[in-house]
Amino acid sequence: MLAVYVIAGVIVLIAVWTVLIFNHLVRLGNEAKRGWSNIDVQLKRRTDLIPNLVEAVKGYAAHERQVFDEVTAARTAMQQASGPAQAGEANKQASAAIGHLFAVSEAYPQLRASENFQKLQEELTDTEDKIAAARRYYNQTVYQYNSRLQSFPDLIVAKLGGFHEREFFALDSPAEAQLPNVDFSAGATP
Amino acid sequence: MTLEEQVRSNRIRSGMLLLSFGLVFVAIGAAVQALYGGASLIIIAGIAFAYAIFSWFANGRMIASWTGARLVTKDEYPDLVRAVENAAIGAGLAQPPQVRVVDDPSPNAFAAGGSPKTAYIAATTGLLAMMNKRELEAVIAHEVGHVRNRDVRLMSLAAVLVGVVALVADLALRFAFFGGGRRRGGNPILMIIGLAMLILAPIAAFGIQMSLSRKREYLADESSAEITGDPEGLAMALQKLQLDTTELRHANRATAHLYIETPLNNTSGPRAALSGLFDTHPSLEARIESLEKMGGFKLPAPAGQ
Repeated sequence: MLAVYVIAGVIVLIAVWTVLIFNHLVRLGNEAKRGWSNIDVQLKRRTDLIPNLVEAVKGYAAHERQVFDEVTAARTAMQQASGPAQAGEANKQASAAIGHLFAVSEAYPQLRASENFQKLQEELTDTEDKIAAARRYYNQTVYQYNSRLQSFPDLIVAKLGGFHEREFFALDSPAEAQLPNVDFSAGATP
Repeated sequence: MTLEEQVRSNRIRSGMLLLSFGLVFVAIGAAVQALYGGASLIIIAGIAFAYAIFSWFANGRMIASWTGARLVTKDEYPDLVRAVENAAIGAGLAQPPQVRVVDDPSPNAFAAGGSPKTAYIAATTGLLAMMNKRELEAVIAHEVGHVRNRDVRLMSLAAVLVGVVALVADLALRFAFFGGGRRRGGNPILMIIGLAMLILAPIAAFGIQMSLSRKREYLADESSAEITGDPEGLAMALQKLQLDTTELRHANRATAHLYIETPLNNTSGPRAALSGLFDTHPSLEARIESLEKMGGFKLPAPAGQ
């Protein structure tokens, strides 16, 4: 009789424990989802601003074909990207292209003096800052979430509950090198 | 200590804080009872209870009116509002805190209010004039760190409660000396104990206030580094604050612990010797040093020293 109680007790304990782990994983997963939506909002804002910027610059420097094509290609890549990893790559491409466009615009004082252009420049810098901030938070949460999924005993609950690891967003920037996540994610992919 | 533990411990401490101030008020009430008799104890306890409930909900607005912090829009202060938005995103807050500005040439900043939804960040015009973008973002991230760590309610409550204990004890003392005790022929020993309690109450309140803030500043510095990924920016900002000696106009003892840097300057003179005992903040040198350790860098010595 005693053995039955002990076994029943152990089963109840395991059940409670499983529920706790499950809830914790769900919460971390939701945090990561929210972190991703923060990035996504800013990426969308950025893709919306790019055509305006191109139009504004075209008004003063219509013959700078090459850089317009570069920016437009980057924008298309951003729109077609699926998942954080691809979006990260496309976003980097866009940052570089927009940087080139601003560098080109340096040669046109009238363009730089225009209020519309200044406003766009400010907005785009702001989206870039916000993407950087959102990326830090997102990658930290993904790091926590993924490392829980890979460690015992959460790993069992994760397998049974159908939890999947999440992708990092644009990891290999210098600021990210301080976090230990880089090696971790690279070593863990089978 | 993880964030969750910090949040939980802050919640418990907020409750304990209200309780200890309740006790301080009962002591004041008992003291006034001994001095004047009547129903003083019950009246004062009742007022204290009402005040505690009121301050739980209204502490943010009370502090805003004490410090002269007014709500501002993004059009007025785009850089500040953006810094708050970015730090809130970096900290993973569901929405950015409100932004207030204090018209004061002394550079400083604080966070106050209750939950992350009702909290606000306030910066002085002096801070905005002095800091570059990177430094401003680091300072604001320190304040957003206080919001995320749920420090703000605890610290705001401490401010409004310390303020009122000092006020009530002061009033009662003045009344005792100048208003003249109504009740002649009371027990003299009781009356002496009562007077002593009235003098000790504000000191006890300051003690409770000081126990709250010093470690919290280091934690918020750490949060700032985590949010911006840039401990060096914060260290540079703190160094600028260190070199600045202007005093905040609206600073008082009750709200001192809210600010990123102590608003009551006592870097020289006789108070400096005692500063270790009564400071609400760890020294800026110590904080810069711990940021340097965290980020693995070394700031050059400030110019002019």
